Amino acid sequence: MAAVSFRDIRKSFGKTPVLHGISLDIANGEFMVLVGPSGCGKSTLLRMLAGLEDITGGSIAIEERVVNDVDSKDRDIAMVFQSYALYPHMTVRENMGFSLKLRKEKQALIDQRVAAAARILNLEPFLERQPRQLSGGQRQRVAMGRAIVRDPKVFLFDEPLSNLDAKLRVAMRAEIKALHQRLKTTTVYVTHDQVEAMTMADRIAVMHDGRIEQLGEPLELYDRPANLFVAQFIGSPAMNVFDGVFQGNSVQALGARWPTSARAAEGQRVKYGIRPEHLEPASSGAEGKIAAEVVVVEPMGAETELLVKIGETPLTVMTRGRSNAGPGERIFLAPQASHAHLFDAAGGQRL
Amino acid sequence: MNKFAREAKLWLIAIPILLWTLLPIYHIFLFSISSKDSAFSGALWPDHPTLRNFGTVFRQEHFYLHHFWEQIWNSLWIAVATGLLTLAVATCAAFAISRLKVKGGRAVMNAALFTYFIPAAFLAVPMYKAMGSYGLLNSRWSLVLAMVTLASPYAIWVLKQASDKLPWELDEAARIDGATPLQLFRLVYLPLMMPSLVAIGTYALLLAWNEYLYAFLLLSHENTIPLAVGLGHFLASDDSPWELLMATALIYALPPAAIYYAFRRYMVGGLTAGAVKT
Repeated sequence: MAAVSFRDIRKSFGKTPVLHGISLDIANGEFMVLVGPSGCGKSTLLRMLAGLEDITGGSIAIEERVVNDVDSKDRDIAMVFQSYALYPHMTVRENMGFSLKLRKEKQALIDQRVAAAARILNLEPFLERQPRQLSGGQRQRVAMGRAIVRDPKVFLFDEPLSNLDAKLRVAMRAEIKALHQRLKTTTVYVTHDQVEAMTMADRIAVMHDGRIEQLGEPLELYDRPANLFVAQFIGSPAMNVFDGVFQGNSVQALGARWPTSARAAEGQRVKYGIRPEHLEPASSGAEGKIAAEVVVVEPMGAETELLVKIGETPLTVMTRGRSNAGPGERIFLAPQASHAHLFDAAGGQRL
Repeated sequence: MNKFAREAKLWLIAIPILLWTLLPIYHIFLFSISSKDSAFSGALWPDHPTLRNFGTVFRQEHFYLHHFWEQIWNSLWIAVATGLLTLAVATCAAFAISRLKVKGGRAVMNAALFTYFIPAAFLAVPMYKAMGSYGLLNSRWSLVLAMVTLASPYAIWVLKQASDKLPWELDEAARIDGATPLQLFRLVYLPLMMPSLVAIGTYALLLAWNEYLYAFLLLSHENTIPLAVGLGHFLASDDSPWELLMATALIYALPPAAIYYAFRRYMVGGLTAGAVKT
């Protein structure tokens, strides 16, 4: 049974359409991440699910019940906002218990639920404090606590980690994922950060210009991007992509022959894509090697990132271990044919 | 040396201003502690300072003071009622316009502000006529309603600007938490608006406390007029008891000073909060 299903969802602000018919089913207990660049409509979609935006067309169902005309409070959802949106005049305890108080639950039940959530989130020492006395990470945990206390059918997260510094973001990422594994509540999580999407999601919906470009498990998206947009959006550093012509089982591009196991019509104009880690430095004697000039060397310890150029085209190369190449030096590259991606030059679809 | 010169310049400006503002108040004080004979002697300090005038006022022992306690009670009643009523009107309006995004809210706000294009003195006669038609003349309510009308546009404007600064996500979070608009108003909006509410309430209260023209027009009975109008009656005769007038004036000036002092933190912050659109 689908916990949440979007059916041909459309949304316009005035005359400007922002979502062009989104259909998406989210399974019970699934951690679904909506990812895309800003303005792609991911937050709008989430806010429509939350009942904070009107639905222009289509329908949204939560556990088979169409909720288009159901008030936010009756949808049995809980939302965590980017800005935390904690009530500044209430203590942590009051913030977390607010929704239950509005539902006129018994005080004993409220106390018990708040205590349980506080234990899960390590917020017990802070229950009597006010939000302004907490750090960013603690505030974010209170916001999650407020969601947990309600025991909703669906958790909604709207860029919850964007206001935190880099280190805390990594820690909270793991915390949210652990929380989901523990509670197994269906979760819809919106972010613009593909690393968050990759690390947290059961499935990812990559969105662009009001459409879902591809839906799938993180590594599926990484290994077999459906089109050029997904290929370049997912993965860090980004995939190298350049123009070429398919000729006899390889691609003629940048004055060299690039091997590939993908197939296209003879003489077809294509885009050749290869991830930095599939473009390894080779010895000068290797077969099919391609010469490049090193521009920048970025050693990161476990791996080294080389920015190189062939002619005027910049490429990124990721190599395990260290590299003794220096700027201006000539190196040779050996692309892994089985990991090369071909896209239609005009439409960007995977070939 | 430079610093000294700068401070000296500041003092050169500050001292005359201070004297200029304090001199009339000093005169009020001087009159109020002088006996009737020495009130106009021109001395900077009376030969025999006395607190007898205050006793006379408190015991209502003069023709003009027969309703002193009643009139100060009227002043207080009218000021507090104006403050509360203005707050009720302006808070609801600001909440509806800023947070519930009522259609046409902006137009209402601009229309309200437009009333300030006409000097309040010009509106006095139409207001008198209106109160007359409703049969409210000589009731304290007439003055309260008039003052609420005059204070509301500014109050709505300031509170609307202050409301706009509250993060929108709070409303959304509250809606998802299950709050109805009324609960949102009561449990989230009001507590967060408290500083601005104190400032605006005080503003309306002091406006009504200090009002003379409207009070003079709308109320005419000895026992319905506020003290401000009562003080005006002192000037009706050729032989005014100045020392008593000034003693009463000093008493009359104390509550506003006290209120202002108590809420000074909110006054500066609250009244300028909406001043600049950010």
